[in-house]
Amino acid sequence: MLTIDGLKEALRNAQSEIEANKDTLTDLDRAIGDGDHGINMSRGFEAVASVLDDDYDSLGALSKKVGMTLMAKVGGAAGPLYGSAFVKAATAFGEAKEADFTLVKSALEEGAAAIKARGKSEVGQKTMVDVWEPFLNELNDADDYAAKLDQLVQDTEDMKATKGRASYFGDNSRGTIDPGAMSSAIVLKAIMKEVG
Amino acid sequence: MLKEMAPAVPIHLAGGLEDGTIGTDVNRILEVVEQVDEAALILSDIGSATMNAELALDLYEGDKDVQFYDGPIVESAFVAAVSAGNGMNLEQIMEQLKHET
Repeated sequence: MLTIDGLKEALRNAQSEIEANKDTLTDLDRAIGDGDHGINMSRGFEAVASVLDDDYDSLGALSKKVGMTLMAKVGGAAGPLYGSAFVKAATAFGEAKEADFTLVKSALEEGAAAIKARGKSEVGQKTMVDVWEPFLNELNDADDYAAKLDQLVQDTEDMKATKGRASYFGDNSRGTIDPGAMSSAIVLKAIMKEVG
Repeated sequence: MLKEMAPAVPIHLAGGLEDGTIGTDVNRILEVVEQVDEAALILSDIGSATMNAELALDLYEGDKDVQFYDGPIVESAFVAAVSAGNGMNLEQIMEQLKHET
């Protein structure tokens, strides 16, 4: 079960993981993007952490606040993408105070759909979609979430980027993990851990 | 240059974050859009700004005609400002942009 406190804990853990991997995310983005992903995600999740002490009466209210905060604070493409994901997930959570595996999965599926729509991207373009969509497509509650997510992140290494700034690098985008895929895995791992 | 070419056309900047650093903040874009008198055209430079511009339009609840054009920012801004200065409406400007940029 994911409770309101559980989602808060997940977001706090995501924030500290992002902080711990800030330089790695930035280095990956420097190789195939504009080198700001770690800085932007760190700034965004720091702002998220600061709204977690407030009281929320539903998972939907918390998720929406997180999304709006990310939209305003991240600065780069991750802002509208993660922001839209949490805002859209909020509609699936609705008034619920706790969510079982099925509800969490459908909220995350709403989130993935929002990311695809906002970024106009599909699987195979070396983006965060390459983590969100395959992860959710095959997800069931007996899975080793962390291992699956790590594998999906690793799988982006050999892909050629055809979306976003990384696509300017063409074939040279191969050989580097997609930073958005990596930050997606951090966030999804943190959430799935609290689902139990 | 735009101000010189089309002095009567209002041009607002909505880039940057709250603290003035690089990036875009959808709320800042919305604030500008909400001040629009009649109609407005939003232009952006890179992908993240484009996404935030489109997000701002999704969130905008006003009734003014506000549209986004995804094209090269310098050329588009030039064409749009001069066309607006010559009295074209937003629909005509969008057509013009599709031809010229």
